[in-house]
Amino acid sequence: MLRFSLLIVYIKFFAKVERGVVQVIMFGYVMPYKMELKVRDYEKFKAYYCGLCHTIKDQYGNIPRVTLNYDMTFLAILLDSLNENPLASKQIICTLHPLSKKLIIIDNEPLKYAAQCNIVLTYYKLIDNINDDNSLKSKLAVKVLKKHIKDNALNNYIKDSLNKLYKMEKEAYNYNIDEISHCFADLTAYIISDYVKNNDELKEKLYWLGYNLGKWIYIIDAWDDLEKDMQNKKFNLINALYNKDNLSFQELTRKVKENIDFILTSCAYSCFTSLKNLPIKKNQELLYNILELGLLEKMDTVFKRSEFVNGQSL
Amino acid sequence: MANPYEILGVREGASKEEIKKAYRELAKKYHPDQYGANPLKDLAEEKMREINEAYEYLMRNSSDSSSSSSFTSSNNYNNTNNYRNTNSYGSPNVYNSVRSDIQRGNYSAAETALNSMATRDAEWYYLMGMVHMRKGWYDSARNYVTTAYNMSPTNPEYRDAYNTMNRNNNNYRNNYYGRTFRDDECDFCLKLWCLDSLCECAGGDLIGCC
Repeated sequence: MLRFSLLIVYIKFFAKVERGVVQVIMFGYVMPYKMELKVRDYEKFKAYYCGLCHTIKDQYGNIPRVTLNYDMTFLAILLDSLNENPLASKQIICTLHPLSKKLIIIDNEPLKYAAQCNIVLTYYKLIDNINDDNSLKSKLAVKVLKKHIKDNALNNYIKDSLNKLYKMEKEAYNYNIDEISHCFADLTAYIISDYVKNNDELKEKLYWLGYNLGKWIYIIDAWDDLEKDMQNKKFNLINALYNKDNLSFQELTRKVKENIDFILTSCAYSCFTSLKNLPIKKNQELLYNILELGLLEKMDTVFKRSEFVNGQSL
Repeated sequence: MANPYEILGVREGASKEEIKKAYRELAKKYHPDQYGANPLKDLAEEKMREINEAYEYLMRNSSDSSSSSSFTSSNNYNNTNNYRNTNSYGSPNVYNSVRSDIQRGNYSAAETALNSMATRDAEWYYLMGMVHMRKGWYDSARNYVTTAYNMSPTNPEYRDAYNTMNRNNNNYRNNYYGRTFRDDECDFCLKLWCLDSLCECAGGDLIGCC
């Protein structure tokens, strides 16, 4: 009986994980537009996603796997598309999805890099959570992750940028939206371009793509959480910057919608144009789908313009 | 202002060509950008401002004194090179160097130069808008360009920049909607068919033929 109920708990928990309910860090916006995706590319995206999850498992253990998100999958796909190495994959039965076989990508350097970035970003996000609300869950998670945080240039850059960002957020009224989002945009740009060594031209192009993508992620995340954050009286960038007269959620969105839409579209457009300048060796259609259509689809979902919401897990 | 000839290190009554050459050399030497976070940067910035002022002063004032024929070629050169001067009143040469900085991708130098200026005319707002655009600071870029456009609505360059910003976004967006529109049509047919089926269930009929 006990065993049976444990099994139920197990299934329920992982059903939740699968739907993305249990996510420590909620950065999952960079996704393909499924309707226009070839089945081949759809399978490839899933294989990268599962591959990233298993890379995290192999390198950092089971618990950090819940920090997985789509944006890091995009990072891996983008960086991997710059080399010509053929993809190595295998079929496995994953404990998170016990009922179906999954194709995963293995032995892939960009995936390892994305896994590392994922862990470090999550770690510092959790530290910030602890500073904010002293939650026990975050404290436990930090204990688990701490041993993986090494003292290297990448980690320090992430740490410094996020600290700077959190500090700016605390006095957001002093800045405008471009100044505040610069921290996160620059950090994303650094993460994307730091993978490439000894090629300044390519680095610069990746930096520009990363800058725009980071800015897009940061702002769309704030816009997406606006209502929830206002209800819970939590920090929200858009509320902090534009709501000096204590407007209601509806009034505020009406006031700033056009502005936010313009910034996000400009960022997404720049991401797409800079993708065209990159020497892409593989994954081309998938990357084009994500930056040409996926970003806009996500915006439609977040701005509640589309009729049916397919923001759920792919 | 101190003697502009002294600042640029040329003899009094030097030709425009010579002044220009001296200016270029000094600008190369003192350009604040090459100092990075070096404390000398502030000093270089100040020096650069001085050099700019002296250069502008001389360029403005030496033209009437130089009537000899040997200057015509250099003047022609000037005219083709500085044709944009006509629409900027404040400090045309600073604007020119800002423009070439922007063209070369040296945005931080352009921004430093703009920030050090006191006059804020339409050209200033336009160039600042361009710098912010290249930096990815779209919100402030739009504000600057809109201000430039409102201050001088007849200027084709400002109007172009203003329109391009929105046009690029619209084209990008239309590509997405263009593709999803097809789905919408299917969706509409599907809905109609569903509605018809529902009506038939209820005993009526919406579309007679099926």
